[in-house]
Amino acid sequence: MAARSVLMSIWTSFTGLKLGVTSTRLSAFQRINVPQLPTLTIQSRGVRQVVEKQEDKTTMIEGQILDVPAGPQPPNPEAKCPIYRWNLQHKYNYTDVLLLSQFIRSDGGMLPRRITGLCPQEHRKIAICVQMAHRAGLLPDHKPKLPEGHVPKRLKPQLNRYLTRWSIKSVKPIYKAGLKWCKKRMSVGHPALKNNVRYSVKPLYIKH
Amino acid sequence: MSSFSRSAQQWATFARSWFLIDARMQPPGKIAVMCSVRLQGKHKPIYHSLDCGDHVVVINTRHIAFSGNKWEQKVYSSHTYPGGFKQVTAAMLHQKDPKAIVKLAVYGMLPKNLARRTMMQRLHLFPDDELPDDIRANLTEELPQPREIPRKLSEYTQEEIDAFPRLWT
Repeated sequence: MAARSVLMSIWTSFTGLKLGVTSTRLSAFQRINVPQLPTLTIQSRGVRQVVEKQEDKTTMIEGQILDVPAGPQPPNPEAKCPIYRWNLQHKYNYTDVLLLSQFIRSDGGMLPRRITGLCPQEHRKIAICVQMAHRAGLLPDHKPKLPEGHVPKRLKPQLNRYLTRWSIKSVKPIYKAGLKWCKKRMSVGHPALKNNVRYSVKPLYIKH
Repeated sequence: MSSFSRSAQQWATFARSWFLIDARMQPPGKIAVMCSVRLQGKHKPIYHSLDCGDHVVVINTRHIAFSGNKWEQKVYSSHTYPGGFKQVTAAMLHQKDPKAIVKLAVYGMLPKNLARRTMMQRLHLFPDDELPDDIRANLTEELPQPREIPRKLSEYTQEEIDAFPRLWT
């Protein structure tokens, strides 16, 4: 009974489908016996606005589909991952905040992969870039909400940094760096981004 | 310039100029390279090791930016006397003295000879924007910053944020 009501709700939601520009993956429920739409249509759930109407004794809560104008087409619509759809594979960095901000929550955490649709490698790279952007202070409005009236005990030193791989508290000072042939190097950036496009001749310098 | 008179050309070649560098959000190593080149005089075609360097003024040394985790990992050591060996991380040293990191970086990049001390006397470091008036009167040229400062999300206008396409829905 519950399954039948779920499938009915899926069918009604399908009738209200918009032929959106970007494709989304079907949820787990929809993969079970759902009538196949013609392959030419790209499906997307429209953005819905919740509208509450109060009559005598009944309250009608309706999700009205907003008419959002279709954005620009991705150059590679057949790919599964959004980064591959827009051909941005090896082209983004921690400085591209406009791109990174589309994959984070309002308190700075990453959105889950099953919602954004990223492939696992790109999800990891975006997570690394988001971490580096947070540590560089490029996302000042995406900090976690502190409880009200919270006063920090000790003022933290405001040090500017960029391309920080490790978290600040986890790193220990290198008291004995060693000789040139066996030096303990300080790591900068992340090796996951080593395949990024470089327009200069110099190679990526990770071990400083 | 060929249009100068002889005495003016002579003055323009051999006068000691004053350079200004803003170190805000810049890596101290790159700032130190620029400083050491100009303190030695290696940016001049008339370079000679006997004293043709210029003055360099570095401002905002309190706001330098280290790449990676160097604030916690980089250690500055000082052997003053036996038993007086101190090792301080870059963060602690910067808190104690905001000019020290840039000063040590430039000192290490200058040639290790007796002229190094005179060249260090021609380097002027200031932790913030404030400059004494006599130094401000002497400045001739400002050098461009070595590193491009990335923009924060709050610095983008709403139109730019809207113009960027949504990658997923």
